[in-house]
Amino acid sequence: MAKPFYVGFDLGTTNSTSAIFDGERVHSVQSAMGGALTPSVVRLSSKGTPIVGARARRFLERDPENTQSEFKRLMGTGKTIHFPAADVSKQPQELAALVLASLRADVEQHLGFSIDQAVITVPALFEVPQSAATAEAARLAGLQRVELLQEPVASALAAGWEAESAQGSWMVFDLGGGTFDVSLLESREGLLRVVGHDGDNFLGGRDFDRRIVDWCLTRLATEEGVQLRREDPSHRQALRQLALAVEEAKIELTRVEQTTIGGAMPLEVDDELVDLDITLDRATLETLCAPVVDRTLEVCLRLLREHGQRPDDLETVVLVGGPSVMPLVRQRVAEALTQPSEEGLDPMALVAQGAAIYAASAGLEARSSTRREVPGTAREVPGTGTGEVPGTGFQRGKGCDHNTATSGKPHQLWLQYPAVTAVTTPHIVGRLAEPGAGPPPTRLEIAEVSDPSSVIKVELDAEGAFVAQVVLKSKKLSTFAVHAWSAAGESVPISPTELRIMHGVTLSDPPLSRTLGVALANNTVQTYFERGVPLPARRTFGHRTIESLIPGTGGNLDIPIVQGEFEQAHLCRLVGSLRINADDLAETLPIGSDIEVTLELDRGGRLSARAHIPRIDRVFEEVARLLVPDAEPETLTREAEALQSRLIGLQSAIGREDQRERLAALDRRLIEAQLATEAAKGGDADSGQRARRILLDLEAEVGELEDLGKWPELEAKSMSQIATATHFVAQFGNDMEQRLLDTAVSGAEQALKGRSHDLLRQHMKVVRDVGNAAFYRHPEAWSWELDYYASHVEEATDPKAAGRIIGRAREAREQNETDRLKSLVTELWRLFPAEAQQRRLSHRSGIH
Amino acid sequence: MSRNITQNAFYVLELSSECSVMDVEMAGQKLLAMLEIGMADAKTYSTPMGHQERDAERVRAAMAQLRDPKSRIVHELWAQLPAEPLTQATEAPLDGPWPEAFKALGWKR
Repeated sequence: MAKPFYVGFDLGTTNSTSAIFDGERVHSVQSAMGGALTPSVVRLSSKGTPIVGARARRFLERDPENTQSEFKRLMGTGKTIHFPAADVSKQPQELAALVLASLRADVEQHLGFSIDQAVITVPALFEVPQSAATAEAARLAGLQRVELLQEPVASALAAGWEAESAQGSWMVFDLGGGTFDVSLLESREGLLRVVGHDGDNFLGGRDFDRRIVDWCLTRLATEEGVQLRREDPSHRQALRQLALAVEEAKIELTRVEQTTIGGAMPLEVDDELVDLDITLDRATLETLCAPVVDRTLEVCLRLLREHGQRPDDLETVVLVGGPSVMPLVRQRVAEALTQPSEEGLDPMALVAQGAAIYAASAGLEARSSTRREVPGTAREVPGTGTGEVPGTGFQRGKGCDHNTATSGKPHQLWLQYPAVTAVTTPHIVGRLAEPGAGPPPTRLEIAEVSDPSSVIKVELDAEGAFVAQVVLKSKKLSTFAVHAWSAAGESVPISPTELRIMHGVTLSDPPLSRTLGVALANNTVQTYFERGVPLPARRTFGHRTIESLIPGTGGNLDIPIVQGEFEQAHLCRLVGSLRINADDLAETLPIGSDIEVTLELDRGGRLSARAHIPRIDRVFEEVARLLVPDAEPETLTREAEALQSRLIGLQSAIGREDQRERLAALDRRLIEAQLATEAAKGGDADSGQRARRILLDLEAEVGELEDLGKWPELEAKSMSQIATATHFVAQFGNDMEQRLLDTAVSGAEQALKGRSHDLLRQHMKVVRDVGNAAFYRHPEAWSWELDYYASHVEEATDPKAAGRIIGRAREAREQNETDRLKSLVTELWRLFPAEAQQRRLSHRSGIH
Repeated sequence: MSRNITQNAFYVLELSSECSVMDVEMAGQKLLAMLEIGMADAKTYSTPMGHQERDAERVRAAMAQLRDPKSRIVHELWAQLPAEPLTQATEAPLDGPWPEAFKALGWKR
């Protein structure tokens, strides 16, 4: 009997791991070099031959120019990494593909057969371009089908799998080499729900190293007179050597109280050789690293607050990632949150293990459909070769076929059932997919193989379909045999004849980490998916073009896709853009043309987008830009200066103590961004991206503080909006609108009381929407609209066309044709696009 | 607003508002499987406002909403409300828009 295997890969910043789940147990896979960890390091020889993992890591110090690590932090940025010896440049995803290929080879060696389906984890806060780059790496590594899974969800799944009776709220604290993710989870009766995520894509063990390196630089300068500078490109190699020595010392200090930072080779600084020999004790290390640990804890507390919970509510915290083994981290987590789990979970292996378990839930059996033997293994190769079940990605499974000995072609059944579930009495749903030889089956019998008395009889309906409910063995794998009978009572050959369901953990659909939408020309955002929406998800909205596209002019129309929690498009991150080129069109696309935009996200946050233009019945799917924006040091410097001026302005305007504290925190973040910008000037692209992210976050936070400074103004504006909406809903609203308005007004009042800017914004949007809906039922509403546009006709993109529509609309008004008037006014809207300034801010959106 | 009824998670999953979390998982898994293989019975569901079309996305959303205790309460409230026909707009005397009304409704003018 073929046993299915499922594979998970944790593609980490510093180290990568893989794991296999066989339907019952999950275990890590050893690399060819013997350890469970494969360093995410790639070296290219002068001939361009790649060396990956532990062997490549040995060259980090000796030949840093041709040996690269931490490329995960540059995924999706469009940066290339040059290898001078081979004189080739590689994209980060190409290097990640080499690491994945190495992991894949280790798994194949272990299993004895080739694999082409797996789950790969990504940080929960990865932006869309970063997820897209990871998927591309998988493709380059030869994997035919992959699903991406958020790292903390994977850790939670593995921890939930191990914990026999995990109940209540718990947290996964995942501190990796380069990223920090925290997830709040809830577990009830084996059902695992991700309540929310938070984190920082640029916070990790490397930040500990950075601080220790800074400390070493000061020591070298004061004690040795050695000036080693991050902003000097000629010091890059020496800095890398120092960073490696620091990392080793930091790891050693998890076991000992004192160590020496030293290297195999002296540092070369300005043509002089400097021997590295600095003593570091654990107390100093902890003093240096404490601010970074505190930042992780601030993120955890923010996540708890966002979901109305306190540290006391947590049952436990699961620590994941190499840096989390640091005694300081465990101690501070225990003090600020709750006692970390003592269940003996391996913090380095948990993510890959969770990914492997998840692969089973997602029906992603690892086995290649086109089997090839892996040399060097004596293992027997099991296999079924049953067809892949197309599906939504929700839990499903494939059965096994034992009918090869039966004469005649068996009738093919299409079965749907969860491969792993917390439900003890799940459903098996199926239908006859393809007829075989002999009479068709009309009745099925399904029985657990170890308990023949558990037979369930089920009739196939007129569609040839059935739904059966089975009982699982508690916390074990249940194997069910399926037999079929014809109307005449004869046994009928079918395929598959067996299926397996494991009673374990059910993972709810992972929530989207950041709101995703489309920027409109007026610099607002049409939200497609709110943060927290379960993935996968797909939505379509109708828009209109705001300018004509004429073939042969070289023009184009952009539909920017943005991610973030802000109403204004320019504050959100541009993660991609659908582009329609005029030269690709056969005919002119006039202004105001309808355009249906569909965005789709898979479970790991991979985005696909398409635009359908009904007028010409064309679909555009080319995403012109799916990159994290560039981070040029000059631009970053200018942005930092502008933010500094705004922060100075806020210092005099803000009076409340808590806001002053917040301001001081923003000041510290700004200094951090400035330091990262300095490092970017020395050629450290990763630091440039880090600075960009910090500045973008700061921009939003400063904007919010500025708004808080205008609170009395905001309060008055909100009250006026509530009064207006109340007036129109009272006159023209229906009962439901009234109820919705009451709820929104009550929420807005609470938000005003608590001075919660975010909440107020959400509730006021509902107030305005409901008010508008009611307003348009006013018998004169469309007439007023017409008068407004008639008096502003010169602002239309095509005043002549607008004039013609206004004339027709006036006729409709005189003849009391309200519906026609409404339709003509709606047509007029299309001719009054956003102002130029707003459009520029909206990432040059061509739609509204 | 009518979506609170037409897309109420209890109606989508055909469950009563007293159901357990395990019932939600069981019903959701079953419906997703039925939709996956194209069973006609799964394609629509009834609500007090008439039959609605059901797809996998709506089922997943309903499951997520009922797994979250906070959003479940909202769905429970709407599921327990008697369905009311929409009332007609009032015939009371009408007021025109005062100068600030448009701005207060979020308009730029």
